[in-house]
Amino acid sequence: MKTTQFKRAIPLKSLIKRKKGADVDTFSESKDESGAQQKSSIEAHVEKMNNTMGGTSDLIEREIIINTKPLIKGVAFFINGLVDNEQVSDFMLKSLLNDSFDLEEAKEFSNTTLEHLIEKQLLTVSEVKMETDWDKIIHHLLSGNTILFVDGINQAFIGSTEGGEWRSVEEPKAEVAIRGAKDAFIESVFTNMALIRRRIKSPKMQFEMFQLGNSSQTDVAIIYMNGITNAKLVQEVRRRINKIDVEHLLNSATIEEFIQDKTLTIFPTVYNTERPDTAANSLTEGKIVIIVDGSPFVLIVPVTFSQFFKSAEDYYQRYDISTLIRILRYISFTIAVLGPSLYIALITFHQDLIPTRLVISLAAQREGIPFPAFIEALIMETTFEILREAGVRMPRAIGQAVSIVGALVIGQAAVQAGIVSAAMVIVVAGTAIASFTTPAYNLAIAGRILRFAMMILAATMGLYGITIGLIALVAHLASLRSFGAPYLAPFAPFIPENHKDGLFRLPKKIFNK
Amino acid sequence: MENIKITPFQLFVLIVLFQLGSAIVVAPGVEAKQDAWMSIMLGLIGGLFVFIIYYHLYKQFPELSLIEYLPKILGKHLGWFVGFLYSLYFLYIATRVLRDFGDLLVTAIFPQTPLFIINLLMTLSIAYVIYLGIEVLARTGEFYFLLLMFIGVIVNTLFFISGEVETDNLLPILGEGWTPVIKGAVPTLLTFPFGEIIVFTMVFPYLHNQKYTLKVGLIGLVFSGVLIAFATMMNIAVLGIDIVERSSYPLLSAISKIRVGDFLERLDALAVISLIVGMFFKIAIFFFAGVYGATTLFKVNQYQKLIMPMSIIVLVSSISIAENFSEHIEIGLKIVPNYLHLPFQFYIPTALLMITLIKKKFTIKSHS
Repeated sequence: MKTTQFKRAIPLKSLIKRKKGADVDTFSESKDESGAQQKSSIEAHVEKMNNTMGGTSDLIEREIIINTKPLIKGVAFFINGLVDNEQVSDFMLKSLLNDSFDLEEAKEFSNTTLEHLIEKQLLTVSEVKMETDWDKIIHHLLSGNTILFVDGINQAFIGSTEGGEWRSVEEPKAEVAIRGAKDAFIESVFTNMALIRRRIKSPKMQFEMFQLGNSSQTDVAIIYMNGITNAKLVQEVRRRINKIDVEHLLNSATIEEFIQDKTLTIFPTVYNTERPDTAANSLTEGKIVIIVDGSPFVLIVPVTFSQFFKSAEDYYQRYDISTLIRILRYISFTIAVLGPSLYIALITFHQDLIPTRLVISLAAQREGIPFPAFIEALIMETTFEILREAGVRMPRAIGQAVSIVGALVIGQAAVQAGIVSAAMVIVVAGTAIASFTTPAYNLAIAGRILRFAMMILAATMGLYGITIGLIALVAHLASLRSFGAPYLAPFAPFIPENHKDGLFRLPKKIFNK
Repeated sequence: MENIKITPFQLFVLIVLFQLGSAIVVAPGVEAKQDAWMSIMLGLIGGLFVFIIYYHLYKQFPELSLIEYLPKILGKHLGWFVGFLYSLYFLYIATRVLRDFGDLLVTAIFPQTPLFIINLLMTLSIAYVIYLGIEVLARTGEFYFLLLMFIGVIVNTLFFISGEVETDNLLPILGEGWTPVIKGAVPTLLTFPFGEIIVFTMVFPYLHNQKYTLKVGLIGLVFSGVLIAFATMMNIAVLGIDIVERSSYPLLSAISKIRVGDFLERLDALAVISLIVGMFFKIAIFFFAGVYGATTLFKVNQYQKLIMPMSIIVLVSSISIAENFSEHIEIGLKIVPNYLHLPFQFYIPTALLMITLIKKKFTIKSHS
């Protein structure tokens, strides 16, 4: 959009002269000096604003007469609901309308221009910007700021009045910690930035803002610590974010998809969290936090595989307990991935590896089951996945019904009807519980997919298939990188000092060395 | 050369996995009866010497692989030809190990599965990992090294707990003098597994920190040699030399004797898993050397392009290489050590080293 080409520009001088004669000559002179060849009128601005916005009904146009000597016409624009109404009325409008102000006096006090007077003296709102770029003016308007045009001034005054309704800061829902902080990120990027800033009061912490999405113009902030975060990493994040070209950016997941290293993987290479303490902790470790307006989940890069097994809770409980729980999570993830496939492999191929008494009892149970172990497992696992998905998407009121159907029909009744064996129900249930211990939801999903792949391998090649599958899996993980950081570190490559907070969580005294 | 680097620890891990790969399940050096472990140690000492030869060769041309520096020593055409032979040799050994592995799985756990299917799965995973690169192979190695060491500690502890270890089986030491011990070591043990480290001359240029190469290589060899000797000792102690001699895979037989309480038994699965992992790395490293050599020889710009055809060749020839298992073993014991291992592992490298040293002497003389 071209800026400041107003067709019906009427000089300020002529307007004011009609009212007060020579008084304002100084202003008009300085106006000429400030370089605007085309003198503007308020009507031109209003028309242009209405053209751009297309007469949308949430755009409020407020005509005012500024209470100065002489009186000047002005018009304020803001978007209903995006602005803090009190701020607009108290600090933008009230000050302009009520406070009487003598331009003559001000001229005597300091040799200054009209726009400076309005900016410095009249507007009592906390932050005022002057802007001529029409695109930016519209962006500010749509971000919840109030735009003020004053007759005879070719610039727009932008008062920061962002406000309106946001969800308040609430307890984290997805990442619960018993002893951790009880605040979680919300949808507003600025509130989220403040939540982090409150935890790290260091001038080293830097925020950088981007506007992404051609039409959504979403605010995106990257946060890093000067001197702690690798400068090359910051450069790389900046480069990848600048490369993003989308029309609408509504969630941090979109950014995640654009900036991740490798698309062809089921493993997440970007961490997301709703906990400000986790984000702050990552910053102190030299990572970069990315906040996207409209998403209560912030992104953290780079990330390693072990990060997904850490929970904020680990740092709030004793180190020995945390270490044990962490190891428990790794074991659970292994069970979640391998549980059914090991059972299938043993039942189908390696009955001789099962202790004799157990194999007899298993054989008795499987008597009369019409399916091979693989089909049996597939039925149960698929049913479980359906139940889980139903439970997640359902309104809470109906949720109860799902669990009743799940427990009774799928569990007990299926065994009694002779469709599946009781041992299989135990295996599937155990696997399901184990899969819930993974703190990161996106890694748990990867585990679910892997579980099915492993089941197929186990059904075709038994333990050999599982072992080969695991080798390929580890190789795949080893080949992944998250912003240059090897994904399997500190295990492969083996980095001894990082083991302080990898599989183990050592005492903080050792930690900080 | 791509910007791919291997850390000293990763080299160590690769060497250990490579050495243990197949040697730990078969019983090397049983010609020396209960003194097999001494044969292994002797073989290890020989292995250390040949490793030093390879290292000195490599030191003349750091950042170059064996096949890359061959033309510089032997001249363009002869060097290319010898490099070609080496590339074939690596691929052939990869094929043989793959066959060994497939036959073992068929005998031990999958009597009804066709050999082809078992080898296919292995080849696919190797092709995938090599496609991802040597660095990924090294990292995967680090992960599985820790796992294998863990399994090893558990299995050995269980050996003792279950009370199957009879140290008397290891006596008498040197009952028949040194002759059988030396016979067991030379040439079989020298060439397999220790001499096979020649394949690492293709990996050296990827090292991150060149000054550790010798140290890490020697430590890796000693570590794996001691482990193999120890495993053989345990096998003999558990099973007795008669059974070890007759069994194709004594480690499997030994582990299946573990019985703790009434529930901890039939741990063969652990042995099979370690075996699959070890074999995987052994074949993968040979395969990588062969593919990478061919890439250099035929000036292919990306070695990934050769993985598909090469893996098909290796897979098919692993089936057609021998009619049956006995024939395969026969070739492996009679022909391969004398006509392949010895020339490629000793004669050629020694000759190469001598040529370079003489050349060097002459150039120094002509300079002064």
